[in-house]
Amino acid sequence: MQVSSKEKFWLTAPITFFLLVMLGFPLLLDLIYSVSEVTFENLLAPRLQGFENYFETLQDPTYWDALAFSLKFGLTASLVQLFLALFLAIYLEPLLARHPWLMAVLMAPMMVAPALIGLMYRLILHEFVGVIPYYLWEWVGDSPAFLGTENAFLTLVTIEILQWTPFALLILYTAYRSIPSHLREAARMDGANSLQLLMLVELPYMMPVILLTFFIRFIDSFRVFDNIYVLVGSGAGGTSTSLSIYIYKAFFRGGNIGQAVAASVLLFLAALLLIALLERFSRRMETT
Amino acid sequence: MSMLFRWLIFGFAALLFNFPLLSTLLTSLKSEGEIVSNPSIIIQSPTLANYVKIFEMADRFDILHFLWNSLVISALGAFFALLLAFPAAYVIVRTGFGRNWLLPFVLNLRALPLIIFAIPLYMMFQAVGLLDTLLGLALIMCIINLPLTLALLSSTLRNIPEELDDAARIDGASTISIILRIILPLSVAAIASSSVLGFVYAWNEFLFGLMLTTKSATPITVGASFFFSASGGGVKWGVASAVIMLSLLPPLIVGLLFYRSIGSSLTGGAVKG
Repeated sequence: MQVSSKEKFWLTAPITFFLLVMLGFPLLLDLIYSVSEVTFENLLAPRLQGFENYFETLQDPTYWDALAFSLKFGLTASLVQLFLALFLAIYLEPLLARHPWLMAVLMAPMMVAPALIGLMYRLILHEFVGVIPYYLWEWVGDSPAFLGTENAFLTLVTIEILQWTPFALLILYTAYRSIPSHLREAARMDGANSLQLLMLVELPYMMPVILLTFFIRFIDSFRVFDNIYVLVGSGAGGTSTSLSIYIYKAFFRGGNIGQAVAASVLLFLAALLLIALLERFSRRMETT
Repeated sequence: MSMLFRWLIFGFAALLFNFPLLSTLLTSLKSEGEIVSNPSIIIQSPTLANYVKIFEMADRFDILHFLWNSLVISALGAFFALLLAFPAAYVIVRTGFGRNWLLPFVLNLRALPLIIFAIPLYMMFQAVGLLDTLLGLALIMCIINLPLTLALLSSTLRNIPEELDDAARIDGASTISIILRIILPLSVAAIASSSVLGFVYAWNEFLFGLMLTTKSATPITVGASFFFSASGGGVKWGVASAVIMLSLLPPLIVGLLFYRSIGSSLTGGAVKG
């Protein structure tokens, strides 16, 4: 006797029910509210009004600024993390292989909440009590306004990179170590030097994992919220408003439910598109 | 010689990545007076006074309350995810049922920014009274933990030989008792690493903690930020630093104790997800 279809149903029913209630229903609400005129007063009886909210969102320059910020932030952070992590993974491999606990030292920032890291930098970058401005004044005689309009992007993206490079490093290091040794030996036999080995054998072998790491880091950095929120709040101007901050702000600060929800649905569509791309890509990887 | 360079690069990277942690630790050991007069990394007179002062502020910001909330939320969040994912993983691996819809759907949640659901969830929680409750936040953490938990469990279950099930069936065991008596004991490692990771993820969550709580269920990530709000005479940087150190300790300890299994789980989960 195998698992009966009744058992199949009952064993998967809890998770399915949970997903429908916690994600399916909210998505439905998103869709309904996004085409309704809705305020905090008529939440239970929204009035359908067509695509007004979408038009308003798409005509809002702050929305486009937020989208541009998130894209630029996600791309910059993920690309720098990828290259930094790739270099460290390959260069430090002989060391990390001999002393595996060193990896734990590098992994520590991954265990800390991004919100707490953000709070730490509030202190570190503070113009009077912060350690970085202090040393800059000592050594260079000047210290920039790290969270001012001009430098906010660079500061925030650096913080993101420094916290999450270890994540990329961990994945790429594991991938590098799992390259079968016979591939290296064969390449050596054919007279490949170290650079050729890296460019023609090792990197191509790691390419699926490299691309995947890039995707994961891009998605996580794209939806950044915590560290920006605690560092610059949601009050400051458009220079450091990510898409997540935009949605939060439209809902909690502006009370603009319709627009916040329309922006959520647009984000959902974009995420679906990305996931579909990812699926196609990984299917191609499996077949090759 | 080349090893020496590797040590140097390692030391530099380790310092750079861990700089905020080290710097905050140093600040938390300085007196309020010294923080203002001496922002450098040298402590003149180390003190634990800031750690004591946290608890003197308990009437305004009760850190033990925040820590307790985070503990409950994270433990429940990891447990709920296991409870939902385990039977599903068994069915998916053994029968293929759900392999083409349930599994990819859950794994892809990893790539979905959950803020998409934040506003309707806020409304739903308000309607059913889950706003500002530990249970409400634990349910959110369960969503966050499901992708990795299901990925880990299904890849572990795939490696348990099906002959074990068959043998038990011949002895007359039901599906439930096979799951509980045979599969569960063999998946302890995967259960442990998904609990650890789930706990760390949930502890470090901020967005939903911020949106869905006001007072009684505030988690520590949000509670810690209260200590940075300048009320009546500016931020007490020493106390705020001490709060941060206490807030980050539980997931850091758990994470570093299990760093080996976290490494392989994250890699496995990432590559599959």
